[in-house]
Amino acid sequence: MSITDMTSMAEAQSDLRSEINKRLERLILGVSDYCYQCAKCTSGCESHKLLELEPHQIVALLKRGLIDEMVNSEIIWTCMSCFKCKERCPQKVPPVDILFALKNLTVLTGKQVPGDYTQMLQSVMSIGYIQDRQTVPTRSGDTVKREDLGLPVLSGLQDPNGFQNIITASAVEKI
Amino acid sequence: MKLALYPGCLMPTEQYAYEMSIRETLPLMGVEIVDLPGFSCCGEPLKSINQMLTLHMSARNLSIADREGIDLLVPCPMCHLALSEAKNILDGNGEMKKRINAKLREEGLEYIGKQRLFHIIDLVHDEIGLDTIRERVKKTLPDLNMAAHYGCHILRPSEMGRPVDSENPRKMEAILLSLGVRSEDYAEKLDCCGGPLLPNHPETSLAKTGQKLQAVSEQGFDGMVLACPWCQKMFDSKQTKAAESVGSRAHVPVLYLTQLMGLAFGIDDAKLGLNLNLSPVDDLGLKGEVE
Repeated sequence: MSITDMTSMAEAQSDLRSEINKRLERLILGVSDYCYQCAKCTSGCESHKLLELEPHQIVALLKRGLIDEMVNSEIIWTCMSCFKCKERCPQKVPPVDILFALKNLTVLTGKQVPGDYTQMLQSVMSIGYIQDRQTVPTRSGDTVKREDLGLPVLSGLQDPNGFQNIITASAVEKI
Repeated sequence: MKLALYPGCLMPTEQYAYEMSIRETLPLMGVEIVDLPGFSCCGEPLKSINQMLTLHMSARNLSIADREGIDLLVPCPMCHLALSEAKNILDGNGEMKKRINAKLREEGLEYIGKQRLFHIIDLVHDEIGLDTIRERVKKTLPDLNMAAHYGCHILRPSEMGRPVDSENPRKMEAILLSLGVRSEDYAEKLDCCGGPLLPNHPETSLAKTGQKLQAVSEQGFDGMVLACPWCQKMFDSKQTKAAESVGSRAHVPVLYLTQLMGLAFGIDDAKLGLNLNLSPVDDLGLKGEVE
């Protein structure tokens, strides 16, 4: 079932719609209302062929205030964030940023975050980076660590506990 | 020229060859690299979870540079966009700057916004200059035609002041030419590596990588040159899997721009981490004595 099929019985959520528009204005000065559905975004979308993302449909749904349908759909998690849609929009509407806002809203409403995002967040909170130093393979079949390569010691966080508290507070805050 | 190296996450924890080749080549072109304590993730990989968190994390890294009064070298395009976007928001929105600075104060930091940001490509092309590159070249590289791959976030969105033109980037090609390496245009040049989908759609992510590898291969390029740790992870480290996912067998040598520069400057390939590239870079015939 496509995302458009789900909207035939849906009710508009104008409060959420203006919340998202307000967020977009604050962060990037983009407003979805200016979209005239030329679909230039979709024609260049990197996720369109492989995962059927249609950015112009996302903007159309936002204009109609059909937020729940998108927040409950897997489709918003298919964006590759290549920024072609934002770059090429003749009306300066940023579908990629609308998708970020919708994903944020999904997380905020307590829905399950797909894939490895939670793991990355946990790693950032504990060590400051999305992952710790990896042991990597070489072309000749050995493995090496950062320390073996003559690179300087990676200076991490100076106060990990303090960082964790401050970042945790930020992670649950609304725009 | 003195620059603090902002490492990001992927380069210092996995893509060691990028960091090695940066640390080897830049000092030869008059850039002194400074390492500052306290940097963390730029926040961009967590943007899908919470944009406010991304903004806060980018701002805290910028404020570390502010504290030292130094410009930043940001070799990862994703970090470069995150930090540029944070600067853009904070410099244009006084209310948001106050709010973020209240958070930063808890760590004894303050965002001022004086630092300039450089990626490798604009640093080499605009600041160091191609004349200096040509002077440093000590070794004639084999006659190669390499596909240039920039990485999405260094190209777009242009309103955030990207270091290269978003639809017709030429700077990497110009750098390559000054090393004696050709780089013809190809239709898929601006296409994504698929990397950002890795956390939640790994198969599709690899298919995207495989498609571009196939395109580069079919058009007869000798290999690919890039300047992004995420793209290198996809095109080099995951090349075999990526090719399998689109039913092909890729054989595309992939290396960092800074590795190729280092080789042309006569630096030993071990110091440039060339043994960490998993793609068949030996096929390029780059090793050997300086003439």
